[in-house]
Amino acid sequence: MTRPTFFWMSRPIPFSDGESIAAALTAAGIVSLGRDPVGQSARYFCGIGACQACTVRVAGVPREACLTRAEAGARVEPLHPAPLHLVQGEPGDAA
Amino acid sequence: MFNPWGQPVATAHPQPASVVVAGAGIIGSAAAYFLARRGLNVTVLDALAPAAEASGAADGAVSVASKRPGPLMQAALQGIALYRRLAGLDPDPGTGLQGDDAPLAGLFHPRSTFIVAASPTERAVLEAHAAALAQAGVAVAAIEPPAIQARFPALSAAACLVIEVRGDGHAIGYQVVRQLLAAARVPVLRGCPVTRLDIDAAGGRIRAVETPRGRIAADAFVFATGNGTAPLFGLQAVLTPRKGQLLITERDLALSRAMPGSIMSGRYLLSKGSQTRALDAGGEQASASAARGFGLVVDPLRTGQFLIGGTREDHGDKRETDLAAVSRILSDAVALVPGLAGVRLLRGFAGARTAVRDGLPLVGPLPGLANGFLATGFEGDGICLGPVTGAALADLVCGTAPALDLAPFAPSRFAELQAAA
Amino acid sequence: MRPDAPRKIERAMDVLVVGGGPAGMACASACARQGLSVTLVDQRASLGGAIFRQPVGGAAPVPQPASSRQRWRRLLADLTSAPGLDLRLETLFLGLEADGLALIEDRNAGRVLSLRPRALVLATGAVERILPRPGWTLPGVVTAGGLQVLMKETGRPPAGRVVLAGSGPLLLAVAAQMTGLGHPPLAILEAGDPLRRWSAGLALIAHPALLREAAGYLATLARARVPWHRGAVLRRIAAESEGEGETLVATWTDRRGASHSLAADRIALHDGLAENAFGLPEDAAASPRRPLVLRIGDCRAALGAPAAIADGTAAGERIAARLASPTGRQATDAETEPAALARHRAAQGHIARAFAPLAPVSPADLADDTVLCRCEGRTVGDLKRLLAEDEGLSPRELKLSGRFAMGACQGRFCAANTAALTSSLTGATTPFAPGAFTGQRWPIRPVPIAALAAPAPAPSLPDESQT
Ligand SMILES: Cc1cc2nc3c(=O)[nH]c(=O)nc-3n(C[C@H](O)[C@H](O)[C@H](O)COP(=O)(O)OP(=O)(O)OC[C@H]3O[C@@H](n4cnc5c(N)ncnc54)[C@H](O)[C@@H]3O)c2cc1C
Ligand SMILES: Cc1cc2nc3c(=O)[nH]c(=O)nc-3n(C[C@H](O)[C@H](O)[C@H](O)COP(=O)(O)OP(=O)(O)OC[C@H]3O[C@@H](n4cnc5c(N)ncnc54)[C@H](O)[C@@H]3O)c2cc1C
Ligand code: FES
Repeated sequence: MTRPTFFWMSRPIPFSDGESIAAALTAAGIVSLGRDPVGQSARYFCGIGACQACTVRVAGVPREACLTRAEAGARVEPLHPAPLHLVQGEPGDAA
Repeated sequence: MFNPWGQPVATAHPQPASVVVAGAGIIGSAAAYFLARRGLNVTVLDALAPAAEASGAADGAVSVASKRPGPLMQAALQGIALYRRLAGLDPDPGTGLQGDDAPLAGLFHPRSTFIVAASPTERAVLEAHAAALAQAGVAVAAIEPPAIQARFPALSAAACLVIEVRGDGHAIGYQVVRQLLAAARVPVLRGCPVTRLDIDAAGGRIRAVETPRGRIAADAFVFATGNGTAPLFGLQAVLTPRKGQLLITERDLALSRAMPGSIMSGRYLLSKGSQTRALDAGGEQASASAARGFGLVVDPLRTGQFLIGGTREDHGDKRETDLAAVSRILSDAVALVPGLAGVRLLRGFAGARTAVRDGLPLVGPLPGLANGFLATGFEGDGICLGPVTGAALADLVCGTAPALDLAPFAPSRFAELQAAA
Repeated sequence: MRPDAPRKIERAMDVLVVGGGPAGMACASACARQGLSVTLVDQRASLGGAIFRQPVGGAAPVPQPASSRQRWRRLLADLTSAPGLDLRLETLFLGLEADGLALIEDRNAGRVLSLRPRALVLATGAVERILPRPGWTLPGVVTAGGLQVLMKETGRPPAGRVVLAGSGPLLLAVAAQMTGLGHPPLAILEAGDPLRRWSAGLALIAHPALLREAAGYLATLARARVPWHRGAVLRRIAAESEGEGETLVATWTDRRGASHSLAADRIALHDGLAENAFGLPEDAAASPRRPLVLRIGDCRAALGAPAAIADGTAAGERIAARLASPTGRQATDAETEPAALARHRAAQGHIARAFAPLAPVSPADLADDTVLCRCEGRTVGDLKRLLAEDEGLSPRELKLSGRFAMGACQGRFCAANTAALTSSLTGATTPFAPGAFTGQRWPIRPVPIAALAAPAPAPSLPDESQT
């Protein structure tokens, strides 16, 4: 029996029913989940939704990969598109 | 004061040697900066800390886009021009003052404001507004579909008219405050509220201010105390705290690139300045607060984040944000910029502007007190007007004529203040 | 539609319990048995929390001691038999808004709902403390708890070479669980040395269950010959290319100061536990529109699962009493810790002393380019520069100007470290509290705007068309 898959960018990633996107990506050997605008790599870290470092875009919506169940056919991609220019974490908002 | 060659120049009044500036918001900080540049011995004190109140909880539109012709528009135009000089974007036309050339370098970012009409009603109001701006000499351009999509790809197809107001900019209040205080190199006393004035009634002068840390005497006193002004001078009937809720999103570089400037809903024109003009029918709802106005501003920040606002509510008792307002603001924002639906809200916060009964700020001498000056009541324009007001205050204190026409802003127009002094 | 009206459904209940770990489960059952209407929410798809995390898709559970399995069965049975419990999974608590409404995000519906509970119980557990070290933000570096989540969820050990580093008993537990799944870690780098801290160790004799658990882990690790380096400090992590891909290199020093390095595919960090109470509301009984707010379990104090269950059960009774009494809402009886917890607190104190690092690294000694705040990419040097300009900056000014605790994790991983570094750089007599950087807020987690926004309003609203 073939396992269901979702897509990390265009790559199919197999998963078991109920598994989180983070667990499936990890099992597929994917460690870096894209780059953030500050220039660091998004990645799995705390596993409990606290660090936000694993946030990816699932069907267009930002979601923590560690808290979100994988679903067959879902489109999962890095939160930020390939960085054209990286804005250093420069101050820019209030409070 | 000194001329550009560093030689002393005679002034009408003897220049005071020391000055206390109460309030380290953008107004007090700017005053401190310009006073220090004139060589005065300046002490800044704040009840809390620099930018602890409105100046640290504002969007930073340095803008004439929403102004109607009149003294405020004039002041805003001068305010923008001064920002450009302080940021080193325009040459300083020899103000004759020594000192740091561009204290706000990197902190003021020119960008257009785009006012968007999404209904026939808004369109009509916006057309009239654009004509008034143009007549006052502001550079505006009207954009109609389909050009809207090309110029401003993030906008919804509902936008039927966009007015681009050129020459506006953005500056973040707390950054300006920090930078002006650093450039002024003056002592800043945090946690030091003025509780009372020590007045020499016969001489019509302030001798000192009293604070929990003791009495502080000086030759002159500037009060830029925001919402702390009403209790200090008995101005409760003149000044009202006007709360505003603002929201900050996460970064979204792609969406940010599709927004060449900040947008303001045409509806904002209806709510700004007079909260009663856009009374909200939902006022009786969950929130126990009085009726409130909603205007929509979406500002793409330099970090790739978005600042979205806001409300105008005539009370200052709560600093928090409520679901009804946040949900309403975000709904309006998504209607104009659909791409925001896929961005996450990071936080919300609220600040309280200081609104004046007649809609104009109070800047000028305190009636009956020869060495006391007041500057407050900037409602939603204090970031824009901060530096130009600070410069004018320095002129007043030193007895020189300010570049800004302060006559419409004279505090003496309120009888309450006459009584207090 | 009223323009100000959110589309949210406002629903009232007696008690909203946030967190379906042992504390929240015990509290929800206890409240329901007192006849109160209860809603229990958890962000995950299954109950259990940090310790009873459930395997998915028929995976084999990570082996647990019998006493632990029994506790879990009891918790689950109590909850299933509790009358009229409203259980909502994959639902996040976002905070209390200004009017006292509790906001929850239903992840499946993609919507935020508002609830009006009379009591709000926060049982959000603990988060791990992670000290900053050069390289801690690299991909492949995880928390020990994060590694454990993956193991418990999938029943599989992490692939590749794993090094566990930092301090605390969790490192041993995770190493033993990996070993149990047939894949022991390369090494454990422990900054403390519990075998040398005799007095703390002896005091634990009064807590035989904990000692048995520890002995079990140590025996498992000894059999698999997993080195447990004590007094070992992980200094930095670097990414180096190795053949096709990248490998992590951990540089550590032993108790004599000699430097060593280890190549690994994963490095799991852990420097202790802290309450996961960031941004959460305090009990503010003064306002009648706000619910009673209680914190239980690890969210109140990280004392372990048995304590969490006891705390949750006791809270159920307290809540019933406070909601029934007309003065209960005044919270004059400042939420005191139940006596049953004293024993657990003492035990955790002994454990903390036993594992105290032999030579704690001062944050001020870190290299300037060490990342302090990952979300905004702010470094130790950034904070030093800011404080060099003005030592008197308030936490709010540091936050605004330095962007510490301003990012998506909302300070969960940098507030404590930033506060510690600020205190040490300024020599503050009263140390800065992490809470000064995080405050109380909503949303306590970033939330998609689509979930909060009402449907697009009609192009022209009635209130504007008249102007
Ligand atoms: C939500 C919001 C959005 C805004 N957006 C914009 C915008 O886009 N563009 C714009 O130009 N303006 C905007 N404003 C307005 C702008 O923020 C204010 O007009 C401006 O900050 C006022 O500056 P201030 O120095 O007068 O007052 P404040 O910044 O309030 O400073 C007053 C200071 O005085 C101190 N103080 C009070 N009482 C005492 C006392 N007795 N003794 C000593 N110290 C005292 C306070 O602690 C405070 O630090 C906005 C305001 C809000 C709230
Ligand atoms: C990483 C880690 C590993 C641990 N490993 C062990 C171990 O091996 N052995 C041992 O004896 N003890 C261990 N502990 C301690 C033990 O798990 C805890 O003492 C016990 O689980 C505490 O129970 P609790 O109910 O207070 O919190 P938790 O069990 O942590 O439960 C908290 C629950 O709240 C949920 N939650 C958090 N925030 C939100 C939110 N905003 N909205 C909705 N839901 C939310 C979480 O998903 C979680 O289910 C560990 C703790 C941690 C943090
Ligand atoms: S790994 Fe930390 S939020 Fe997902």
